[in-house]
Amino acid sequence: MSLAELPLHAFERPGSLADVCATLSRRAGKGEETVLLAGGTDWVVAQHMSPLSLGGELPLVLDVSRVPEIRGIRITGERAAIGAAATYLEVRHHAVLTRRVPMLTAMARDVGALQIQARGTLGGNLATASPAADGSAALMALDADVILANVHGERRVPIGQWFTGYRRTARADDEIIVRIEFTLPRTGGHQLWRKVGTRAAQSISKVALAAIGEYERGRCVRVGLGMGSVAPVTASLPTVRALAVSPGPQVVTDEHLDAAVRRDISPIDDVRSTAAYRAHVASALVRGFFHTLRPVSSAG
Amino acid sequence: MKAVKIRCTLNGRPVTVEAPPAARLLDVLRGPLGLTGTKEGCGEGECGSCTVLLDGAPVNACLVLVGQVEGRAVRTVEGLGDLADLSPLQEAFVKEGGSQCGICTPGFLVSAEALLAAIPQPGETDIREALAGNLCRCTGYQRIVEAVKVASKERASREPG
Repeated sequence: MSLAELPLHAFERPGSLADVCATLSRRAGKGEETVLLAGGTDWVVAQHMSPLSLGGELPLVLDVSRVPEIRGIRITGERAAIGAAATYLEVRHHAVLTRRVPMLTAMARDVGALQIQARGTLGGNLATASPAADGSAALMALDADVILANVHGERRVPIGQWFTGYRRTARADDEIIVRIEFTLPRTGGHQLWRKVGTRAAQSISKVALAAIGEYERGRCVRVGLGMGSVAPVTASLPTVRALAVSPGPQVVTDEHLDAAVRRDISPIDDVRSTAAYRAHVASALVRGFFHTLRPVSSAG
Repeated sequence: MKAVKIRCTLNGRPVTVEAPPAARLLDVLRGPLGLTGTKEGCGEGECGSCTVLLDGAPVNACLVLVGQVEGRAVRTVEGLGDLADLSPLQEAFVKEGGSQCGICTPGFLVSAEALLAAIPQPGETDIREALAGNLCRCTGYQRIVEAVKVASKERASREPG
């Protein structure tokens, strides 16, 4: 599958989710590969690097970008449902998400320039499962659920169980991601999106942190974290999260935070950065977020 | 896959083109449709040279498969104006020196067109953000930003009433 072979792929544009599921079921049963294509910001780029198939079977490309059941953003009470094919641009401009989840809309603005925002999707970000994925880090901080569908119906996978290895996920070959759901964070807390990269637009993160601190009666009751580019999969930083609730942000020391971060990540040297730099930045970002939590908790 | 008929609106006119649906929109624009104003730079969605408008939003034509534009509206740099009738943006790029070698210019013009359609009087930050997906290795960007400011004023002066 090289770029030269791109036009040789069979291509279909299914009109409904039922059509997508039927095609996936038929092909998965025969061991045939299918590419679910939305914005193409990952898969089309990957074709540059892929070797020629040398006459082997090319996957079927299913354009799912306009399948109605996986589009749009809906808010029902305190629950948000973002269609897998909703673009970053739609996320960025959504009024409720802007007000209640500014961390998520800031991510959508930073993920790439407008041309990428107009095409890229959270469903694609979860499916390709890059450890550097900005969207996945934000959804990890929200403890989102990934909703999958196949011909038999839907199932729900908590994002903590979604990434099963480097660029591997819990999605089966006959399934499609239909939407992402999460509970809107409580009002009055702290949220942070920080992307550290080579430039502000169009750069893949060296390290990214998505963070949410939620309070009830002045007490920190939940901290959600997601970090990109520091492990084979998006990191949820469980040891750091636990420190936020006990002993709490006002008591925990920077040294304890650093130790927890070291335990929760396993950064590597690669083309974009070094393990040492990533570890340093990861600690600095976590410390910075906890510093913002302190005034709220002491004032409460 | 063999060529199929793909229908879309191109620069305001309905067109039908025969092409393999998994071919890149960029290649079909430059090949069978003969619209070579859209340039290929990196081919990876990084540089913005191939920026076109898809239903009004700037996208990289190198990352869109032509089958995905069935029934949609595509606007390329050729749809902005021509030699006999330059758009305010094209005119401003010429006058302000917003173009040097020229390979990135169509992409900048298309991104700037989308900006001015959404924000007719943009501030410097708006302009720089709107153009952040377009790379230029010649100008240092300042003259491009100035050209967009000049064009926004010119467009305002052409507004009826």
